[in-house]
Amino acid sequence: MDALVQILFFVVLLILGYFWGRYFEKRHYKSILRREKKTLNIPIVNFGAKQSLIDVQEAALFAGSVVISIDYFKMISAAFRNLVGGRVTVYESLLDRGRREALLRMKEDAIKWGANQILNVRLETATIGGSSGNNSGPGSIEVIAYGTGVK
Amino acid sequence: MNNKKEKNVILTTLEGVPGQTIMEHYGLVQGSTIRAKHIGKDIMASFKNIVGGELKGYTELLQESRKEALERMVEQATELGANAVVNIRFSTSSVAQGVAELFAYGTAVKVES
Amino acid sequence: MKYIPKKIPEGINVTSRHPLLNFAYLLGTVVAVSIFIFVVLGFVAEWLVIRVSPETETQIGDMLVQPALDKEITDDKRIQYIEELLNSLLIPGETTRLPLQVHLINNDVINAAITVGGHVLVHTALLETVKSENELALVLGHELGHFQAHDPLKSLGRSLVFLTVSSILGVGMSQSGGLPKIIPLTSELTNLNYSRIQERAADIYGFNRVVKHYGHGGHSLDFFERLAKGESKLQKVSQYFLTHPLSQDRINDLNAEAAKQGWKMEEEVTPLPQWLHCSNMKPCEQAE
Ligand SMILES: [Zn+2]
Repeated sequence: MDALVQILFFVVLLILGYFWGRYFEKRHYKSILRREKKTLNIPIVNFGAKQSLIDVQEAALFAGSVVISIDYFKMISAAFRNLVGGRVTVYESLLDRGRREALLRMKEDAIKWGANQILNVRLETATIGGSSGNNSGPGSIEVIAYGTGVK
Repeated sequence: MNNKKEKNVILTTLEGVPGQTIMEHYGLVQGSTIRAKHIGKDIMASFKNIVGGELKGYTELLQESRKEALERMVEQATELGANAVVNIRFSTSSVAQGVAELFAYGTAVKVES
Repeated sequence: MKYIPKKIPEGINVTSRHPLLNFAYLLGTVVAVSIFIFVVLGFVAEWLVIRVSPETETQIGDMLVQPALDKEITDDKRIQYIEELLNSLLIPGETTRLPLQVHLINNDVINAAITVGGHVLVHTALLETVKSENELALVLGHELGHFQAHDPLKSLGRSLVFLTVSSILGVGMSQSGGLPKIIPLTSELTNLNYSRIQERAADIYGFNRVVKHYGHGGHSLDFFERLAKGESKLQKVSQYFLTHPLSQDRINDLNAEAAKQGWKMEEEVTPLPQWLHCSNMKPCEQAE
């Protein structure tokens, strides 16, 4: 009986995670695509020490960051994947969303300032611990994108 | 993360400041802050862990902390007499469960146009 | 250098495979592999476990039986009676690999069981429910059949394999997320789970011995029939139903076996001693 309740709880969480997670993801991607299209005209350029600095008036640091949580369905899928091995496809979209969102936030910030180019952008990903108490692996990821806006 | 209020210290991820020449190098400056998440945000987060989506509370918390790390780095730089920090990098590492260190570092320089 | 804005196409960094398909594949693989491991290791464990020496079996049994002996009644003449009945079911001159020990347990759930190490557990409720010695003999014979087939040991071996496999799965899972503990693992060790085949074999064995002892199989099935019809207080026999999925099929099987062997089924009933029915509330000496 106890086991039955647990299984039921598990399945409910799984279904909840799947539908809500997918809904959020779809919505997020829609917003990402729209904003990426809007900001496409501002180039992001990484260049090395041998290239000479471009001739501009002003430069400033811009950073964009986002913390995205995994959903229960993704978590369980990854747990199974952990036993089988191979590509964890459910996490791919999570990290992809995080990176693009962080880049966009940085870009939008820089555009507001009046940047016409963003130079030497760096990206970093970190995991933020899971929900309180139990240290049950990665609960969410933080992505930060930062670079120099010039005008 | 605007540089205007920080006593006009120019911050950049480039090797130099565009339109200006580096006159003096003062070496590496760094700023760090160690933060713990708090329980209120944690409850929201554990709910979000089921349905997914952005954790706005955490995003803001980390942005704030990163800003603090950057401010500390700038403080070091101004103490040295620099008016710019070039080649800035950020890094995040979790020190313990629920505790993260946000770290910023760069090279303090004096630039002149 | 001219900048030409271009959109990067989707689906390069993100696999477009449907998450549900992915999940089904993972679930299927994990379940299939664990069932395979479970079955293979289960057979290995059974094979190993019946090669355990009687001394070791006694030690394991003594350890495992302890929690069940909470409400054991000692110093009661019913124990001696059950012991004698049990021994009478053995073929003259036959010895079991271990001496069988009868434990009478004060419990109002109708049940009887045999554990590793030859501990025969008889609940008082069973003694209050049986109406003839023939009925009781068949229950005891059935348990004797389990013992002779090493069934409790095999069950233990399988439980150990089950524990191992599920804890390996648990460790693998706990890396990221962790499944709920679907099966209460600790209770698994002392639970006796027999397959239908094992139950049938024990039935036939017990029935055979009852017929050898009384010269006929008459009335020995009455108890099972009453249980199957649900005549007894059902809520109390639920435990017996759980461990021994009893159905009309089994009774039919035994009747068919009797017909095949030409055993007589219509003979005189052997009564139980009067004092066996006395409840625990009043000591048996008074009832005499
Ligand atoms: Zn049985």
